Amino acid sequence: MALDRNDKNELMRTFEAFAESRDSALRDQLIEAHLGLAEYLARRFANRGEPLDDLVQVASLGLVKAVERFDPARGLEFTTFATPTIVGELKRHFRDKGWAVRVPRRVQELHLRVTKVIDDLSLEMGRSPLIPEIAQRAGITEDEVIEAIDAGSAYRSASLDAGRSDDEESPGLLGQLGDLDPELASAERRAALGPLIGALPEREQVMLYLRFYEGMTQSEIAKHLGISQMHVSRLLARSLQQLRELAEDAS
Amino acid sequence: MHGEEVRLTMPAIPQLLRVARLTAAGLAGRLGFNFDEIEDVKIAVDELCFALVGTKGRDGDLTVVYRLLDDALEIEGSGTFTTDAPNPVPSELSAQILAAVVDEHELQREGAEVRFWLRKQRVAS
Repeated sequence: MALDRNDKNELMRTFEAFAESRDSALRDQLIEAHLGLAEYLARRFANRGEPLDDLVQVASLGLVKAVERFDPARGLEFTTFATPTIVGELKRHFRDKGWAVRVPRRVQELHLRVTKVIDDLSLEMGRSPLIPEIAQRAGITEDEVIEAIDAGSAYRSASLDAGRSDDEESPGLLGQLGDLDPELASAERRAALGPLIGALPEREQVMLYLRFYEGMTQSEIAKHLGISQMHVSRLLARSLQQLRELAEDAS
Repeated sequence: MHGEEVRLTMPAIPQLLRVARLTAAGLAGRLGFNFDEIEDVKIAVDELCFALVGTKGRDGDLTVVYRLLDDALEIEGSGTFTTDAPNPVPSELSAQILAAVVDEHELQREGAEVRFWLRKQRVAS
């Protein structure tokens, strides 16, 4: 990726020209010249459960943003400027996917498999399944089940506004909330739950309300909202974590 | 498995709470708790350990003792921290959460020592 001085100077001139004209041909040229950087950074996030191709795409998107925002007049090297933008984009990708960066792929796959099994069994049996039942259906050991359900906690680093689900079986939360009793959305509830909870996204407030004030179980909430039980579990865990942090900050 | 006891001692930092939670989940599974109940235990362990450790951690060790009873799991956590820990008085919300997920719980502080205790009964047959 090392560029010699001439290349660098030429790139800098192209950046200046682009800053002036916002010409999309120049922009494309600049993006192309730095695709290597995007790929290089994408590789650093490889082996974390996402296909490299996807990561390169995400990194390229970050690169596009960086090219558009770069101001050559500030005298910064483009790579210095672009790297945090691209890495930020990659991190956001992992976060929006719901996975903290360090969950090994094997556990992620187990987690997804186990989530599905839990939902299936809950439906079939009309109750929350036992670990041996989950293990048997999923064809894995009980320890693996424990590990897999705990992997849901890795979702904690998900962004506040994520809450979407990538599997087709369980549609995103937002779309589900329309069916809720409108009373739940009232200011009364917010007052009852306190100002800290008010800081959480609406859908998480509803979940906390259902879980801790209405006393619904996670499976009941899952059914109510039409999402997977595991999704409820990790959203709740995340909300609680956030509340604790807010509470500690406040004290 | 009546009376089996598992002890875990670790630095009181939030990054290690996962270990406490995972252990709780593993043992609850061993006691025949169902998925919902296990999630409840994990929430309670998180909530209470957090009260001891906080977001930034404390200087000192956190010890968690898990007792496997015939139809219940008891978890006791304690630590003596050299740094001045905020008083771990559970907020009303925290108490509400704990009441919803476990059968009994308490959180105490005596001098530099903070301690919690919880009990989760198995309901599933």
